[in-house]
Amino acid sequence: MRKALLHITLGLAALVTVVPLLYMVSLSLQTEAETLAADAVLVPDSPQWGNYAELFTRAPFGDFIVNSLVVAGVITLAHLVFDPLVGYVFAKFRFPLRNTLFVALLATLMVPFFVRMIPLYVLMANLGWLNTYQGLITPFLMDAFGIFLMRQFIQPIPDDLINAARIDGASELRIYRSVILPQTRPALAVLALFTFVFQWNEFLWPLVATTTPEMRTIPVGLTLFNQEYFTLWHLTAAGSVILFVPTAVLFVLTQRYFVRGIALTGLK
Amino acid sequence: MRPRTLQGRYARTAYLFLLPAILFFGAFFYLPIGNVVATSFRTGPQADRWTGLGNYAEALGDPAVRHSFLVTVAFAVLVVIGSIVLGLALAMALDQPLRGRVVFRVLLLVPYLTSVAIVGLLWRNILDPELGVLNRVLGALGLPEQQWLNTAPLLTIAGVTLWQSVGYTMVLFLAGLQGIPETYHEAARIDGADAWRRFWRITLPLLAPTTLFVSVMAVISGLQAFGQAYIITNGGPGDATDLSVFHIFNVAFRTRDFGYSSAQSVLLLVVIVAFTLVQLRAGRRGEVTY
Repeated sequence: MRKALLHITLGLAALVTVVPLLYMVSLSLQTEAETLAADAVLVPDSPQWGNYAELFTRAPFGDFIVNSLVVAGVITLAHLVFDPLVGYVFAKFRFPLRNTLFVALLATLMVPFFVRMIPLYVLMANLGWLNTYQGLITPFLMDAFGIFLMRQFIQPIPDDLINAARIDGASELRIYRSVILPQTRPALAVLALFTFVFQWNEFLWPLVATTTPEMRTIPVGLTLFNQEYFTLWHLTAAGSVILFVPTAVLFVLTQRYFVRGIALTGLK
Repeated sequence: MRPRTLQGRYARTAYLFLLPAILFFGAFFYLPIGNVVATSFRTGPQADRWTGLGNYAEALGDPAVRHSFLVTVAFAVLVVIGSIVLGLALAMALDQPLRGRVVFRVLLLVPYLTSVAIVGLLWRNILDPELGVLNRVLGALGLPEQQWLNTAPLLTIAGVTLWQSVGYTMVLFLAGLQGIPETYHEAARIDGADAWRRFWRITLPLLAPTTLFVSVMAVISGLQAFGQAYIITNGGPGDATDLSVFHIFNVAFRTRDFGYSSAQSVLLLVVIVAFTLVQLRAGRRGEVTY
């Protein structure tokens, strides 16, 4: 009896979650007339796969995809390069001003993006970086979350390993690359997944920092496309599916890492 | 802090490794933060005329700004309450030995990993009074049709926000629940405490740190919501969903008043910090474990 109730609760929750997303797929395969019918269509008469092709002729959707891949990809690579490096320093080195710099890093966690939005816009305008890849990418090259995640992971590595490598005459960079980095692989996977997915979905900054359609990322390009052609719901839905599928597939394949990553942030 | 064994002679290496981070956080965090404060004291189309606290005085007296702060706080409160109640309920349901647990967990987390653009566009369509599918479903169930975005716009976008984020809070609560030793419940059971009593006396108090974390995160993200207002309601109807960041965005990029919008950004940051501190203090008073 109690089991049944639990199953019903979870089943309902799963339905409320999944059905809208399935409806999005259904919309993307409907004709324009079906999407505008007074009685909403649940299942299209004959799936209009051509909607996906039409989307690319109505909007520079190919550009959106390339831009999203470049921006999210480069930012993710930057995180993989810099976050473990900084995490390593704060885990294993003692040096003057260490605590001051650590607090300064901690403080950046308390700065929501909107606080940086206006000055970053002005900065990019002055640099001539509005509507460029460097303008979209540079504000997100690293962040304190990723650095702390890596620091947590590097701290348990025994100091003796590092000292032994030093006695053997290994350079500091070599020690980092051959002794430290190989041990952080699981954490790097979590870091890469989270960074890529959240950058892929980022909305506010690309909206502010792009001025022409060709430079927009998918979330911004799609939203502004919908504002322009607000009756073409079948095409908006097709674009949504394109934006949704990569992260959904990535997530289903790696869900264990995601769940672990979220639980990690919650357990201080 | 345990003392580390690596000597200070490696300080040079440390600074060398830190250099990119110092440059990055300097240029893209500390410089902008300094600039937003500096700009907030200036006025004019170029934000180059000194006005001192003029923008702040204007903002605090501006009915539109005050309204947008109220709307934003109400929105955040709705999201926090929903996050805790729904997230905890789902986590407790998932904390039982059930078949297909992983599948449920994955499904409920999917919306959290989608862009606000998808969530906003999809729900705007579903909720549309003319062609939305939700009213058709309600009609089929014999329930009255609703003009969601006209009658309860703020509640509706809070609901959409929950639809996206509840999987995340569920996972956090699930981690918290799994940290409660089973022996506590067994002991209480032997003492004759029923399930309801065990929930109030064991589960809830021991979950306090998780609940605090969830509510702090939900308030912080709720107070800076933007996409929902931009995509679903355009701040309307009227100004019913004029969330603060959306309001600031419009003052900055549509009216091009960088001084005034910077001052509002600083004020919103103060609101966020104040809320966070109040929660942390309340949490410390209710602290059970540690």
